[in-house]
Amino acid sequence: MDPRLARPLWTIVLRVIDCDIHPQIGDPEELLAHVERGQRDWFRGQPYFGLPGYSWSHPSSWYRQDLAADGRPPGADVEAVRRELLDPSGTSAGVLNADDAVLVSLMPSPYRAAALARAHNDWIRESWLERDARLLGAIVCPAQDPEEAAREIRRVGEDPRFVQVVLCGGSERPYGEPRYLPIFEAAAEIGLPVAIHAGGEGMGIAAPPGGAGAVTFYIEWHTLGSACSTMAHLVSLLVHGTFERLPTLKVLLIEGGIAWLPGILWRLDTNWRALRSDTPWLERKPSEVAREHVRFSTQPLEHTDGHDELLWEMLEAAGAPDVLCFASDYPHWDFDDPSFMLKRLPEAWRERVLHENAASLYAERLRLIAA
Amino acid sequence: MSRWHDVGSLADLERDGHVVARVEGREVGVVAVGGELRGVRNRCPHHGGPLCVGTVEQRVGGRPGGYDLTGELVLRCPWHGWEFDPATGACLDDPALRVAVYPAKVDGGRVLVDL
Repeated sequence: MDPRLARPLWTIVLRVIDCDIHPQIGDPEELLAHVERGQRDWFRGQPYFGLPGYSWSHPSSWYRQDLAADGRPPGADVEAVRRELLDPSGTSAGVLNADDAVLVSLMPSPYRAAALARAHNDWIRESWLERDARLLGAIVCPAQDPEEAAREIRRVGEDPRFVQVVLCGGSERPYGEPRYLPIFEAAAEIGLPVAIHAGGEGMGIAAPPGGAGAVTFYIEWHTLGSACSTMAHLVSLLVHGTFERLPTLKVLLIEGGIAWLPGILWRLDTNWRALRSDTPWLERKPSEVAREHVRFSTQPLEHTDGHDELLWEMLEAAGAPDVLCFASDYPHWDFDDPSFMLKRLPEAWRERVLHENAASLYAERLRLIAA
Repeated sequence: MSRWHDVGSLADLERDGHVVARVEGREVGVVAVGGELRGVRNRCPHHGGPLCVGTVEQRVGGRPGGYDLTGELVLRCPWHGWEFDPATGACLDDPALRVAVYPAKVDGGRVLVDL
């Protein structure tokens, strides 16, 4: 039987866009073939392409352990993604946000970072986007060299199947800093949202996670590192007036949690009233600007110990359901299945969160693809 | 019916930038705003701070990364720094808030406010 016929019945009436799929590198040589010749041997000789590693590790596996992998990581080719995610979940479109390759921005060498970013983007186009029309790309770029990053965004962005730029949560400074403007300008210029995906905090040249120094355990990083960097980038982009500078820019914050969102926005609004002379260009409440320009992925949706109704009520105050976009995080261990999300979300939110908000975020690119 | 109340001396106003007195059960002050006098209820509608003891200064504006003096004089609460339009009493940082403002004048070296 065609596996697509086995998809959940609800996907016949409700489409799903998945904002966060992580394609794994099954065959390093397939990626290295896209690296310029002068640098290929260097990457070949490094553990994991010279990308920085974590100081702490998941106690069992980064991946869903039910996924067959034949010695390779799960999700390492289009067939696996089709078989394990797209077909059974009825997902109509999914964005490939790279995996550890997004950490190029934390490599000490901007030149190696730029070369690996270019290779990864070309590999995604050739080995993934060409093979399943449901798959969409995210542009990896070296944030430590913003001018080069902007060039890469403009180069790869000519292909409408790349629907967003992806940066990692780990960074030298928060992304509202003017040094990063060329990245956001390039994205806005060609109509691409910029996704900031939690991860990399404390790695390579990044600042430590959590704001209180290096953490000990993976559980600490997973609780704080990803959430704190996401909050920091959100606040930084807002207070630097990034959206006043670039009124068409949209930002998607991925995997940093969402239950904290109303609290941070309330706190920021309060401070904005009191401290406005420091950032006098902010003429509107930061929470209003966030609601207009910033979107959030659902995964990993916090467990509320039976208090989901409180979560929805709080999130509604922060602009949900219009700011939430479904993300699975396949094939990682903390994956959220669309069917699970369908059951948890309030009924009135489902269509927007599972499909409409992302369709609107990527509308310009989806129109170009359709054309 | 308007009634003028004495809230302090012109000398005090010139020295401190404000005078404050209790009038009909509430604290009312007068502040000097660019050569004009303005009566203001001495209670910030945000947290109850003594608003008239705050500073009158030019509101800062600007585009991202830049700072300009707008020329617009505002009364800035000494507690949390929320800013008010001394002419209308409107809070410039929260349209839901407003402080009562009153006409004020000087007569014979005394500062008067019209409640």
